[in-house]
Amino acid sequence: MGEILDRLYHMTALSDLIADPSYLLMYLLAFVLLYLGIVKKYEPLLLIPIGFGVLIANFPGGEMGVIQANAEGLVPLADGTMVDIWKMPLHEIAHEFGIMNYLYYALIKSGLLPPIIFMGVGAMTDFGPMLRNLKLAIFGAAAQFGIFAVLLASLALGFTPQEAGSLGIIGGADGPTAIFTTIKLAPHLLGPIAIAAYSYMALVPVIIPLVVKLLCTKKELMINMKEQDRLYPDKMQIKNMRVAKIVFPIAVTVIVAIFVPTAVSLVGMLMFGNLIKEIGADTSRLFTTISNGLMNTATVFLGLCVGATMTAESFLNLQTLGIIAGGFLAFALSIASGICMVKIWNLFAKKKVNPLVGATGLSAVPMASRVCNGISTKYDPKNHVLNYCMSSNIAGVIGSAVAAGVLISFLG
Amino acid sequence: MENMGLGLELMGIGMVTVFVILLIVIFGSRLLITIINRIAPEESKPQKAAAADDTAAVKPVLDAAVAQLTGGKGHIIKITKIS
Repeated sequence: MGEILDRLYHMTALSDLIADPSYLLMYLLAFVLLYLGIVKKYEPLLLIPIGFGVLIANFPGGEMGVIQANAEGLVPLADGTMVDIWKMPLHEIAHEFGIMNYLYYALIKSGLLPPIIFMGVGAMTDFGPMLRNLKLAIFGAAAQFGIFAVLLASLALGFTPQEAGSLGIIGGADGPTAIFTTIKLAPHLLGPIAIAAYSYMALVPVIIPLVVKLLCTKKELMINMKEQDRLYPDKMQIKNMRVAKIVFPIAVTVIVAIFVPTAVSLVGMLMFGNLIKEIGADTSRLFTTISNGLMNTATVFLGLCVGATMTAESFLNLQTLGIIAGGFLAFALSIASGICMVKIWNLFAKKKVNPLVGATGLSAVPMASRVCNGISTKYDPKNHVLNYCMSSNIAGVIGSAVAAGVLISFLG
Repeated sequence: MENMGLGLELMGIGMVTVFVILLIVIFGSRLLITIINRIAPEESKPQKAAAADDTAAVKPVLDAAVAQLTGGKGHIIKITKIS
């Protein structure tokens, strides 16, 4: 009887949980993520799948945790022998390591899902505000400074160049871009980097006001963009917005493809999704699929697989803490550099720009713009900057994808 | 620390690339808009005349919808545009 009970005890996950209580910390993390997603409604579409992925990945014997290959691509089998995972067929990966590893290596490690999500983002983005305020798009470039500043800081702290690049890209404030870059450069850091990227994106309503309060005066925040437009009107008017919106994604794809081919898988898919949206009725079926079914399917698998990379052995270390701290720094520096560029611009230009337009140069579309509009209307209820912020905000998406392309080209 | 040179190099190349690409996008788009303004200056707008027949055109559809929802008991007496 005692032997049966002993075997039953070892059949359950209890014996492993008691032998290694670090799993309990992972459950705590999973519950926090689920709480943030379900109760606080912070990015629920991502934090809930990620949180649940963390939970199911950390039950010993469940085979739902992602196994990361070492630098040579080797992974240990159950009998301890090392095999090259890149030479294993997918069905064998599923058989040896479980279904989550099958999904991870087929959908994430192959780099398939982030571009698909970018396609969905493109289908849901309106480039109209950017086309109407083209000059403001340049602040989307300035806000990428945080990426490279944190890359430099991470190198100083002893991270490898590939790890530093993945860490810095959190400053791009773009989840799919961060995941895509990390898959290419430092896949073993995918879990903490994805969590940092999406958590800070969810905390945009807290981080932007904090940085703005530190760097901007009330007078600067009260700059009324519509008033500036009235005083210094733009000579160029768009007479046919529909045609402009159709030609724009094709043109941007060609430009990016020529100069930074490594960014095409992101920018190209973003622009393809947008083109399908702008064509209208003729491609409405494709638009519905891209922006709903495909996007949602990709989000489900991305969230679960990213969560499943966070196993106790790969997540609970000092490096993770460094990533969480470095990610915040990257985010804050990106916002600050966008603001600083507006301040420099205002020193020389007659037509003044509200510094909030610089703060939205990081991606996080459209939440960053909405937050900045909230700040401006707090100082002056009539001063709506949303459309102007959207210009630098959308440019930030293109800018961060280009920055990711540069990092992959040089470090990949 | 030996990688700091690489980091600085990446910072320079990365920021310049991002600025150059966005500048090309900005000026390229302005050029495109100028060309579009010349080639196709007007958006094709729906003909105003059709608006007058709006009520007549949608009435059969509304009739069918109301009949479906009310099991044939409901009828449309009047259609009024609110705004």
